[in-house]
Amino acid sequence: MIELTNVSKSYRTDTIETLALQRLNLSVPDGEFLSIMGPSGCGKSTLLNIMGLIDEPSEGSVVLAGQPVTSYNGSKVARFRNEQLGFIFQSFHLINDLSVVDNVELPLLYRKMGGKERRRLALDALERVGLSNRATHFPNQLSGGQKQRVAIARAIVGRPNIILADEPTGNLDSHMGGEIMDILTRLNTDLGTTIVMVTHDERMARMTHRLVRLSDGERVS
Amino acid sequence: MIKNYLTLALKVLRRKPFYTFVSLFGISFTLMILMLITSMGDAMFGANPPMTDVNKMVFLPQAERILQFYDTTYVVDSVRMDDGRMRYDSTANVREGGMNNSTGNLAFHFLDQTLRGLDRVASYTFYSNDGFVDAYLDGRKLTMSTCYTDADYWEVFDFDFLYGQPFTADAVAGADKVVVITEVVAREYFGEVTADVIGREIALGRERFTVAGIVARPYKDDDSINGDVFMPYTTIDNRKLQSDNISGPFNAVFKAEDKAHTAGIIDEIHFIAETYDMSGDEDYEILKLTAATATEKMAAEIMQEDDLRQAKLLLFIPLITLLTLFVALPLINLINLSVSRVYERRSEIAVRKAFGADSRSILYQFLFENMVLTVIGGLIGLALALLLIRYINANDLLGIVRLAFSARVFVYFLLLIAVFGLLSGLLPALRMSRTNVADALR
Repeated sequence: MIELTNVSKSYRTDTIETLALQRLNLSVPDGEFLSIMGPSGCGKSTLLNIMGLIDEPSEGSVVLAGQPVTSYNGSKVARFRNEQLGFIFQSFHLINDLSVVDNVELPLLYRKMGGKERRRLALDALERVGLSNRATHFPNQLSGGQKQRVAIARAIVGRPNIILADEPTGNLDSHMGGEIMDILTRLNTDLGTTIVMVTHDERMARMTHRLVRLSDGERVS
Repeated sequence: MIKNYLTLALKVLRRKPFYTFVSLFGISFTLMILMLITSMGDAMFGANPPMTDVNKMVFLPQAERILQFYDTTYVVDSVRMDDGRMRYDSTANVREGGMNNSTGNLAFHFLDQTLRGLDRVASYTFYSNDGFVDAYLDGRKLTMSTCYTDADYWEVFDFDFLYGQPFTADAVAGADKVVVITEVVAREYFGEVTADVIGREIALGRERFTVAGIVARPYKDDDSINGDVFMPYTTIDNRKLQSDNISGPFNAVFKAEDKAHTAGIIDEIHFIAETYDMSGDEDYEILKLTAATATEKMAAEIMQEDDLRQAKLLLFIPLITLLTLFVALPLINLINLSVSRVYERRSEIAVRKAFGADSRSILYQFLFENMVLTVIGGLIGLALALLLIRYINANDLLGIVRLAFSARVFVYFLLLIAVFGLLSGLLPALRMSRTNVADALR
């Protein structure tokens, strides 16, 4: 369950104050696959970052999995992100110095877990996205679609309850984008993972349970 | 957890071979050069065998005899003011002229008469080592530098005897034809450095000497110990020893009971020289003995400067400045490399934070990477330094002086590099670990 109440976010530069989100209310029940759409600069990514605890709201409260996360300090937020959240980015953000399986293992490094166990879970996650044969490759040996599948494996390896995807198909052609959507849909149905996805693509949005539209920092539907 | 950081660090370093190579090269080469410079400095200034007590020693780097002569005398009327009335009182003689001087070492007889029994001296030795002697071997000529000295020489200098013994006071008193040779001479002349060489004869010039001992090469560069063959001074022609000239081929080293007493000994020697009766000297009227500690002597020799204080400043200020720069430049380079590397990995840091790393784990990660680099670079530097020092020693690149490897100095430099590595990696990492994840991943 994601519960945003009266969330506002403003960015202040030297001279002007920009309002990215205005008194936004949104609640996402467990197991929902929600998509967020809107023109560029409407605050979609800001909203996602606030849900992912990598940005703080200027006003309002965020409750994730029943926990009042807005009041958490640095290391508690880190732990919460590690256990409850998984991120998928438009430009993948894999670490090029690490092999595919090491990239997937990354979230588990910050848990108390043995190396063998980590490796096993990482290979499971790769299996789920159909890339177990690429485990020892490096990111720059992969296609865009494969990179995004690795990123998904990384997002799900720690079994988070919530996955936050920021335009996961934005850098991919429609065929690869379709594959990614299939994987996300299966995650949602098989594991019951809550997924919040920002997208520009109506077709992708139609594949989700519910669509929320933003415009100028306000919810329009 | 530590194992995780370690394996991660190794993985990253393996994936960035160029960066790793440059860093390792920087660290290991800097260490090697620093070790070499320190070893050479240590051989020059350090307290190493056979001059372990070098800080207690007083040397006589120079004896100067001076004659001031006056070829013109002006007679000047001098005026005295008295009770407000002026009157001619007397005449004064003002003399002008020049100066002759002669510098060099001293005669045995002079040392024997004047510089024995100084206060606070634990032991002292007179020696003459500015000569050479030839030995002929299978049609080859070996030229060796000689050192004629007394039995106390082996007390003042703690030579490392590989085989045999130093010659004794009895041997000196009896003018026995015995000799202590260096391992280099043993190898060259007898073809071996073994106990068998002891008791064998070596022909030096027109005389034959029995080998009493073989000494190891010194870890110290100093002209008081750099002989090849050491013989009792009594084997020199007695007429030469008894010559009552002041100047001669001999030199002296005094070892104080304690380091604090060296200044007193130096003063006493200067006093003896000032009050020495020069009436026996036909050519000169004033005697000046320069007594100095090892560092002063070294500085004066290198800088060709008679004023010992001045010489020390002239030598050490540029030397220390240069050394500091030498250490600073590669370290700044390492910092630069490390800093830019951390900034380059901004998005990696952001990703790690997004997936649950807190600031501390980010810091640890960079700390480990730097530590792994420093340790590997340190080990390579250690190997390189050892190889280089061994190469220099094996090929006599520095004459008879041997370089020693100082583990203590190595650890100091390694720590220095580690500290700089940490600072250079940690400070930017600390800043980066606080950066906004959302901004970095945009």
